[in-house]
Amino acid sequence: MTHPVYLDNAATTPVDQRVLEAMLPHLGARRGNPSSLHSSGAVARQAVEDARESVASLLGASLEETSFTSGGTESDNLAVLGLARAASPEKRHAVVSRVEHAAVRESARYLVSEGFEVSWVGVDADGLVDPAEFADSLRPDTALAAVVWANNEVGTVEPMQELARLCAERNIPLHADAVQAAGRLSLDLEQVPVATLALSGHKLYGPQGVGALYVRKGVALKPVVFGGGQERGLRSGTENVAGIVGLGEAARLAVEEIEERLSHETSLRDRILAGVAELAEVRVNGHPKERLSNNVHLTVEGVEAEGLVLFLDALGYEIGSGSACASGGHKASPVLLAMGRSERQAFSAVRITVGKDNTVEEIEGFLEAFSTAVARLREVSPLYAS
Amino acid sequence: MADRYRPQVIEHLVRPRHVGELSDPSGAGESGDAACGDVALFAVKIEDNVLTEVRYKVYGCAACIAAGSALAELVSGDHLLAAARVSKADLESSLGGPLPPGKEHALTLVLDALHKAFEDHLNRETGQMLLEGYGGAKTNGTKSVVAAMSGGVDSAVSALLLKEAGYEVATVTFRLHDGEKGSRSCCSPDTVLFARDTAHRMGLPHFTLNLKELFNRRVMQDFVGSYKEGRTPNPCVACNAHVKFHAAAFLADDLGFDYVATGHYARVAEGPTLARPVDEKKDQTYVLWPVPKELLERTIFPLGEYRKTEVRAIAEERGLAVAYTPESQDICFIPDGDYRRFVRNKVSAEPGDVVDPGGKVLGRHGGVVDFTVGQRRGLGVSAPTPLYVTEVRPQTNQVVVGRRRDLEVREVRVRGMNWFLDPGEARLVQVRYNSAPVPCEVERGDGEWVARFSEPVVGVAPGQSAVFYTGDRVVGGGVVARRGS
Repeated sequence: MTHPVYLDNAATTPVDQRVLEAMLPHLGARRGNPSSLHSSGAVARQAVEDARESVASLLGASLEETSFTSGGTESDNLAVLGLARAASPEKRHAVVSRVEHAAVRESARYLVSEGFEVSWVGVDADGLVDPAEFADSLRPDTALAAVVWANNEVGTVEPMQELARLCAERNIPLHADAVQAAGRLSLDLEQVPVATLALSGHKLYGPQGVGALYVRKGVALKPVVFGGGQERGLRSGTENVAGIVGLGEAARLAVEEIEERLSHETSLRDRILAGVAELAEVRVNGHPKERLSNNVHLTVEGVEAEGLVLFLDALGYEIGSGSACASGGHKASPVLLAMGRSERQAFSAVRITVGKDNTVEEIEGFLEAFSTAVARLREVSPLYAS
Repeated sequence: MADRYRPQVIEHLVRPRHVGELSDPSGAGESGDAACGDVALFAVKIEDNVLTEVRYKVYGCAACIAAGSALAELVSGDHLLAAARVSKADLESSLGGPLPPGKEHALTLVLDALHKAFEDHLNRETGQMLLEGYGGAKTNGTKSVVAAMSGGVDSAVSALLLKEAGYEVATVTFRLHDGEKGSRSCCSPDTVLFARDTAHRMGLPHFTLNLKELFNRRVMQDFVGSYKEGRTPNPCVACNAHVKFHAAAFLADDLGFDYVATGHYARVAEGPTLARPVDEKKDQTYVLWPVPKELLERTIFPLGEYRKTEVRAIAEERGLAVAYTPESQDICFIPDGDYRRFVRNKVSAEPGDVVDPGGKVLGRHGGVVDFTVGQRRGLGVSAPTPLYVTEVRPQTNQVVVGRRRDLEVREVRVRGMNWFLDPGEARLVQVRYNSAPVPCEVERGDGEWVARFSEPVVGVAPGQSAVFYTGDRVVGGGVVARRGS
């Protein structure tokens, strides 16, 4: 086992060797701009279109419905702002869940400055959006709705099929942030009629700095970046060819290996869940069943997340924390607060996310280190009575 | 990588030193607030002013845990004076250098918990002494002084001047009441923290003493009671008489120090007695008269020789942040200055009659606590010439009003004397803060002293101080008694 052991795959995944190899030629000798007429341009264009086909096939989408962006955040911004601005002027309302990634949440908050009213839909203690409450928030003047398909923090998978149908019935476009879901869940867009969907390269073993946005045929979307009219005018700017090729290869591998990855991740995840269940006052956040195959999210009573993450880092295990402590008070995760957790519980939350390359041995090592770190930090903590 | 921790922080996080609690500590302190996300506890065992054992616990970010460990390691085995001098900068260098931006609060958090443990220890040591009263100086003939620090510019410069004059200086800030700005909020600046920072920047040890109970009993209750009894209180006088100097002296005794000092503008002259300072406008001898002689004997007022403008200039020149602090409030425990509301919240007030000197009813008032002698506003009675409160009679719930000349008196009766010099030396008497002293003759009466003025004097209110001077020296002082009582 080599250290550090990486267990923060929801933050970013390592680039798959095959992805890297597919990308390398485009970072080296090849030099074409996909918009150029000459042969080098044609090579670059072909590479981008091949990648588009792979990504479209991951989503069960058509090529025209698949555009490349600089990543998940851009895709989310483009969808939320683009849908809102394309809506007819009397539609000035948006419905957004309280557990969105910041890319959606902050875009929606920005819409308020453009005169929109936002209804924030809550979740239950497991992080699930209640379809009935969601339906109640939808109004005749609703321009768009947005729900994260699988939560990036606690891993809860939302009832997207039902939510998307509620929207489709009312002719309201629904944006799904599928950055964590892509490559882990079957995203059957025929069964789940979302209007737009965001994904990111570096969450599925592709490179950072590239993502995609699915826009269902017939859905109107205004661009937020202006220029040469690339990506059918939706996202101007010379294509990140190497990144797009990497994303394409990552999507192709995801389609090919999804079952194998799922069963591997699930078994590692369940081993962690079983291991931490033996520790006192360690609580699992998120839905017990409707959750991502790679996500374990814990509240460790009496210990603040930052110390625990850095302690484990010193022992050679890399995990994620939800909230950061800074001067002038902490910022507790809005997701955990929406799930009814206290601020203190939010400060004590850590996220362990496995990936396809983690091994059973690594997980066993992690569990031992985790138990040591928790015990040591609890000795220091005045808020934990053993 | 400015936002990353240094290896020393991680080292303390993974192998924290001195973790735990003490079963029988000399003092224990807690700072922070679970709701704010950080809590630090320190417990100390102190024998002969040496920290023989230190234990800590922290709930908070990695910086807080590491800072607690580093601080415990730094002060363990130290003399109390050395430990009380450990600054945020010292702590930071023991952690390998500055913490990442936004993590500096970790230093404040753990230092505050340690200092609260010291405070707990000192309160145990001095608490009983304070209740019993001052027993006299114990001097060793050293140049050592406990300097009271309020967080303002005067007391800070005072401590600095002593240090520069070669004294061994320990600073102390008193917790007097809960009305200090920001003292209830974990995330806002606190007077005590500011004073500690100032002391540490000057390289001086800093202590705190919790005198809230004493202050409440001897100053605040007296303040409220005065209004109820128709007297005009002077809380600074009460504090100097019973609280501030005594507490500083007890700490000095505990540390084996000889002197105490404050940032008052006054001088100690031979006798000992008080003498007016160089800066006449800032003269505070009027409120210092009740300081017991045996305490004054060991008191230093470094600012007696300076003007306020010079004091600010010194603070600026030495780079003290206090150089720019505003002038302090009249009454420290009533920050908004609305003392009527303060008194009203503490006592019940019954409406009564407003009468003229002959007893004729002119109107009604809402309660005697709203009135002091000499008051012109809010009488609720209209008259062709301005009316003043000339007397407050709590027994009959009456407020007497009259013309300005009805306020004139030719003598006052003074009680509760504190004489520094022979009463026969008194030539002048001052009956209000910032009023000119007037010539007088002093005569001993029955359980009191009578000061006769050569000319009528206006604005003498029962409860205020009457301070006797000869030239610029204070002969003694006392409290003006009620008319006819």
